[in-house]
Amino acid sequence: MSSALHKKTAGTPSQGEGGDARAGAPRKSPSAPPGSTARRRARAGWLFASPALLVIAAVTVFPVVFSLVLSFCEVRLEYGGLRFGSPTLAHYEALLTHPEWYRALAFTLGFTIVSVSVELVLGTLTALVLERLGAGRGWILALLLLPWALINVIAAQLWSYLFNGTYGAVSWLCEQVFDTQPDILGQPVSAMAAMVAVDVWKTTPFVAIVVLAGLMLIPGDVYEAAEIDGASAWTTFWKVTLPQLRPIVAIAVLFRILQAFGIFDLPFVLTQGGPGTATQSVAILGYRILFQNLDFGGGAAVAVTTAVIVLGCCLLFLRVFRAQVDEGGRA
Amino acid sequence: MSLNRRTLLAGALSAAAAGSLAGCGGKDLDDLLTQAATVPRRPARLTWWVSEIPSRRGSVVADLIIRAFERRHPRIRVSKINALSTSDGNRSAIATQLAGGSPQPDVYLGDTTWPAQFGHSALALPVEKLLPSGFWDAYPAALRTSSTYRGTAYAVPFFTDSTYLFYRKDLLAKHGLRVPRSWEELLRTSRTVQQAGDVQAGFLWQAAVTESLTANVTEFLADAGATVLDGRGRAVLGGAEAERAFSLMAEFTARGVTPRTVATDEESDAQDAFVNGRGLFLRNWSYAWVNASTPGVSRVAGKIGAGPRPGFEGTGRSGVSCAGGWSNFVNPSSQELGAAMEFARFCAGDEVQRLLAREAGVIPAMTSVLGSPEAHAAGDPAVLRAADLRLVARPVQTPYYPQVSKALYTPANAVVRGSLSPADGVRAAREGLRTALEGKAL
Repeated sequence: MSSALHKKTAGTPSQGEGGDARAGAPRKSPSAPPGSTARRRARAGWLFASPALLVIAAVTVFPVVFSLVLSFCEVRLEYGGLRFGSPTLAHYEALLTHPEWYRALAFTLGFTIVSVSVELVLGTLTALVLERLGAGRGWILALLLLPWALINVIAAQLWSYLFNGTYGAVSWLCEQVFDTQPDILGQPVSAMAAMVAVDVWKTTPFVAIVVLAGLMLIPGDVYEAAEIDGASAWTTFWKVTLPQLRPIVAIAVLFRILQAFGIFDLPFVLTQGGPGTATQSVAILGYRILFQNLDFGGGAAVAVTTAVIVLGCCLLFLRVFRAQVDEGGRA
Repeated sequence: MSLNRRTLLAGALSAAAAGSLAGCGGKDLDDLLTQAATVPRRPARLTWWVSEIPSRRGSVVADLIIRAFERRHPRIRVSKINALSTSDGNRSAIATQLAGGSPQPDVYLGDTTWPAQFGHSALALPVEKLLPSGFWDAYPAALRTSSTYRGTAYAVPFFTDSTYLFYRKDLLAKHGLRVPRSWEELLRTSRTVQQAGDVQAGFLWQAAVTESLTANVTEFLADAGATVLDGRGRAVLGGAEAERAFSLMAEFTARGVTPRTVATDEESDAQDAFVNGRGLFLRNWSYAWVNASTPGVSRVAGKIGAGPRPGFEGTGRSGVSCAGGWSNFVNPSSQELGAAMEFARFCAGDEVQRLLAREAGVIPAMTSVLGSPEAHAAGDPAVLRAADLRLVARPVQTPYYPQVSKALYTPANAVVRGSLSPADGVRAAREGLRTALEGKAL
């Protein structure tokens, strides 16, 4: 960051060197070497930024580092608070050798892949429709954003009423159609499907809005050129629209992967991780280990492993995406 | 001044280390107990972490208790911290606060399943030596058992909760049937009334993968004569008795007496179905009486009765009721241990227990108050019949109780859904219990 500041200063005429002194900027001594000015400015920059950096460190860096310390230490609770013992890998060993962690990871990965894929397809389709709408697009956008604007726990509670086997509207509808009382949240497959459906309902508008923004940025002359070349609508979509959308879609997918991987509120409210442990996400598992079992080291190990995995997934996605863009560019 | 990423990382690590040290323990227990043994004569301020106590007449019960305490101890002021009413949510919030060494709250209301875990984790002060001799004679034995870990009590009684069989007396009268005394009779009675088209569900209970199911499983196992843990805390679940209990849970759903949605039902779901007239029988905690018998809230108000849960045919025993409720715990990091302990003792005493019988929709912990004029005046059968119940404590005498509970409710839920046979369910529960008790379960 320091070097970036240095380059910017060196490349731009400063007020002191030849700029407008009437603006009130202190006049720099002509004898002072340019490097020392840059260093002084960098120091001032750090000084002014330090309060904000301290706040960021307190709310972001400290918890992350503290979690790392917790996960690699023997942690005991004693009268007066936590007591840290010797360094250990026991928390990770216990986690990585337990089938429940793998089940939770499998559910979370499956949920992330399925829900993000469906949201991406539906969100893109919705954005394409919205782009062609004239009057009333604002109203439809506002309506579409309602699910996204709802607080997650409230949305989950709303759907738990709808899925409720006794008085839920969805259950009632299924009963009318199939003549049998369904147990939507009580069976593993239907519970997972219900969870994906709720997430798609809630988050597709977000993807649609992001993709719509990307669509509106595509210049019209590109489409005109495709039309002159005689490209069909289908070809135009695949050869023109989609490649142009790639950067914005990548951002949307990245956000969604990060959110979906940390899913907690939906299974917590809808199924408490059940039936059995079928919908137990890694976040729910971490919550149980940390807050129910009061195993601080184990809970921190879940958090750290999850962070590493999700980071790996995002990096992998970006690498694959970049390769695709490069191929597209060469083509 | 050279600030770069390395410097920032070093700073963060130092801060984390400083934070770690700040949170370090190391207080001497004897010193804490000495402080807690003396009620201060100087002015003191206490904070009480308390969730909403159900009220009979609309008053805020916690405030009534605080005012009564302050009248007796004019130098001590108590303020209230409103806590969540769910046991799990409450535990998460209070445990993280106490683990950080916070001196507040001084006293906190906690579930009767917490003492072993909280005692083991030094989140609660051992109160055994701070209670007068013969103290526990005034309270149910099951409450003493659940409050004790390794011979020491970590919680002071406040109010208990018990489960009952609620029933539609109008429908039983219509069909000339009596309140069932056994589970087998309950199955027959339910089918009779269901087949007549008078009610959708025969028996409503709770089998979601939560603590709710653990309480139910504990009851069914005790009904059948099975034991979860032995006196030394080892897993001994098994045998024909345990299979009989698990078979009954499967039979309810297999025969249509209980809807399959029971696998996701908690107390509020089952209660909602019952007060809307969808069930003939309901197993629930005592508070369901107030909700189900209040006109305007319940469609079955005036048509219901409450009694002990049935037992199994041939055992010669009536059913048991799970011992639940909430007790007061003292924060070991409190700066006012003497006053805090006095407040906890006061809440367990005769004055507050009578106040609970008069004003609160809960069962006072003190056995003698259950037959008091205040309890008779309230007329709540859940309170009046509480002394007649056979209580069973959940297997809470282990610091790994959340894992033990999970080891019970996970296979039991699969048995109820029909995806695991009762025999396999018992086997899975036993294996899960062993892993949990070794501290190896997640």
